Amino acid sequence: MPLTAREKWDWLSLTYDLMTFGEDRRQGGEKRRLFAKIQGRTLLVAVGTGNDLKYLPSDCNLIAIDISPRMIQRACTKAHREGGNIRMVLTDVQRLAFGDQTFDTVLTVCTFCSIPEPLQGLHELYRVLKSGGRLLMFEHVRSKIGPFALFLDFMTYLTRKFGPDLNRDTVGNVLQAGFQLQREENVYLDIVKAIEATK
Amino acid sequence: MTSRSQSMERSTRMTEPLYFCMGDYLAGLFTGLLTAFAVRAIVGPQWDMVVAMLVGMAVGMLLHLTLLLLFIPLLGTFEVMMPSGIIGMYGGMLFGMRDAMQQDVISLSQALAVGGLFGFVVVFVIRWSDRQLRGVVFAKPDSHPAC
Repeated sequence: MPLTAREKWDWLSLTYDLMTFGEDRRQGGEKRRLFAKIQGRTLLVAVGTGNDLKYLPSDCNLIAIDISPRMIQRACTKAHREGGNIRMVLTDVQRLAFGDQTFDTVLTVCTFCSIPEPLQGLHELYRVLKSGGRLLMFEHVRSKIGPFALFLDFMTYLTRKFGPDLNRDTVGNVLQAGFQLQREENVYLDIVKAIEATK
Repeated sequence: MTSRSQSMERSTRMTEPLYFCMGDYLAGLFTGLLTAFAVRAIVGPQWDMVVAMLVGMAVGMLLHLTLLLLFIPLLGTFEVMMPSGIIGMYGGMLFGMRDAMQQDVISLSQALAVGGLFGFVVVFVIRWSDRQLRGVVFAKPDSHPAC
């Protein structure tokens, strides 16, 4: 029987920090650059073990969510260490427990590779974002380069059983959900991207 | 459209430590060597070329998946997965076909050298491609520049 998203990420929380050690050091600067654009009340979707909290501006007003209780548990420890105004909520991005137009900024980091129904999740983000609010995303997507795309498609058959899909069209999904794309930047090849959109 | 050069100047990845660059090449070299060795050990000289190609690809992918666990924590997920996967998948196919056709005329050391070289070249091409692709691909004129 396939694992649910919550079960997958509960399991992955055990090795998550180890497996992202190198990535954190390579892409941390790019994340800091993107996170500097956070303004006002912010929703951080899928906080994970809290690895990215250290890249946030010190004065941010943040609610961080995750679907995995074990991830949240680890993130709480790091949030306490980082200080700042951070509140953790255990919830699913596909059914957010926040009212319409609650946030000025929504931030996602390697999230929309794992959400079972990405469009539904993006519609929820659209709902909770204020008019003119900003969606900031640091995500990996399917490459447009043939051999890379073929390989990512192949790998997705394996990776989706225990973690993320590697071949999603997240930029396309953002547009489909009704957001207006403001900026798209390649961070690694055309696979890891910093995406900025507005409602 | 924001100019790509402006964005690249600001990208922190342009100044990544030498450790990562050396790590990428060493990981690629090792993956290529190991793939060539494993395919050579399994594929026989009289195999049908199509079967040899498919078996080579399977062996290469299995090795790639195993090596991911070793290299990803050190070098980063996609920075390892892309070269390693290309070496395992496409290299495994090529080495499989080569070993089915030329195993009698190509020595093991030559096969390993080609494997290592293939790994090195794949890493070079992917790092070069990354430099070409990195940066802003779309920016509305009124959007804020990179901070």
